Amino acid sequence: MAPLIKDELFITTAGGATAEWNAVHPSDGNIQVKTLGLCSSIGLGLAIGLPKRKVFVFDGDGALWMNLGSLATIGLHQPKNLVHICWNNRQYESSGGEPTVATAGEIDFAGIASSAGIKSSRRANTVEELKEAVAHALNNDGPHFICANIEPGRAEAPPLKYDELENKYHFIRYIEATEGINILRVAMPASYLLK
Amino acid sequence: MGTIAGAQNILAALKGAGIDLVSSVPDINMLQLINLLYEDKQIAHVPVGREEEGIGVCTGAHLAGKQTAMLMQNGGLLNSANGLTTTALQFGIPILLLIYYAGDIGDNAFHMVGLVTEPVLQGLGIKYIVMRDAAKVQQDIAGAVTLANTSKRPVALLLTRAVL
Repeated sequence: MAPLIKDELFITTAGGATAEWNAVHPSDGNIQVKTLGLCSSIGLGLAIGLPKRKVFVFDGDGALWMNLGSLATIGLHQPKNLVHICWNNRQYESSGGEPTVATAGEIDFAGIASSAGIKSSRRANTVEELKEAVAHALNNDGPHFICANIEPGRAEAPPLKYDELENKYHFIRYIEATEGINILRVAMPASYLLK
Repeated sequence: MGTIAGAQNILAALKGAGIDLVSSVPDINMLQLINLLYEDKQIAHVPVGREEEGIGVCTGAHLAGKQTAMLMQNGGLLNSANGLTTTALQFGIPILLLIYYAGDIGDNAFHMVGLVTEPVLQGLGIKYIVMRDAAKVQQDIAGAVTLANTSKRPVALLLTRAVL
């Protein structure tokens, strides 16, 4: 999907999703998440704050299970610019491969998203279906949810070279530059206030 | 429920401090304030189902340039402890935490939550003020937002019935 992407913003869940996405699409518009499950909520806040910018969330099935309620919250607020992709490999791969709820074979994340009010909700079982779903999300109002059913397995990708703080500063400076806004403000030193 | 005057006082102080997005989970003692937030056109109101979601929403909104607050009961502070630690504190995100102080002296419910609230905030390294004086609401909110921004950390205000 990387060739389809221009200046969209990416919130990527901890583990392989962060390393692999940054390897194929390095950008200051990518930010990692360290709290399992919270990427969808951070994406919602970012999408509400920047309603004209497409915001992609890369979730995992284990992470989504931890914050399944976020689908209902997204359904409530209907952010048109949010694209929530769950990479469903049916295991906690970054934690050693323990099974998630998805191994039961019955759970239907896309169906849950749809029932929660995310009307543009799809499943992708092949690369072509994924490309089509992403292209649809890029060209249409959302919110969008895509459950990408994938096989386990890590790509050869180096870990992200930024820690959380450096990643945040790069990301915010990128938002400031591309949106023409000022986010980080430094307090005026007291000595500058002397007359 | 709180009083309408108390809620108006707090809302005016939030606007004065530049807050333009509030995420919330209800508590009956903050009913009037939440009702005002639903009606307000100036502050974006983002109700969530669980408090940790709200920490995520406030984080994402900060990355977009919003000045955020999370409104919740202190039980919700406990629900959001991991998000506060591994997202808000680890990434350095300013968030005003507006927390109803259930189980405080004089309150009639949730005494266990009240007992652990201040030690949890201290353990997380989150500075806080217990708000007991309606006349100081504006000063406390403005001061907490200033510290949140300069320290790039969450700062908490524990709201008692005296200010609501």
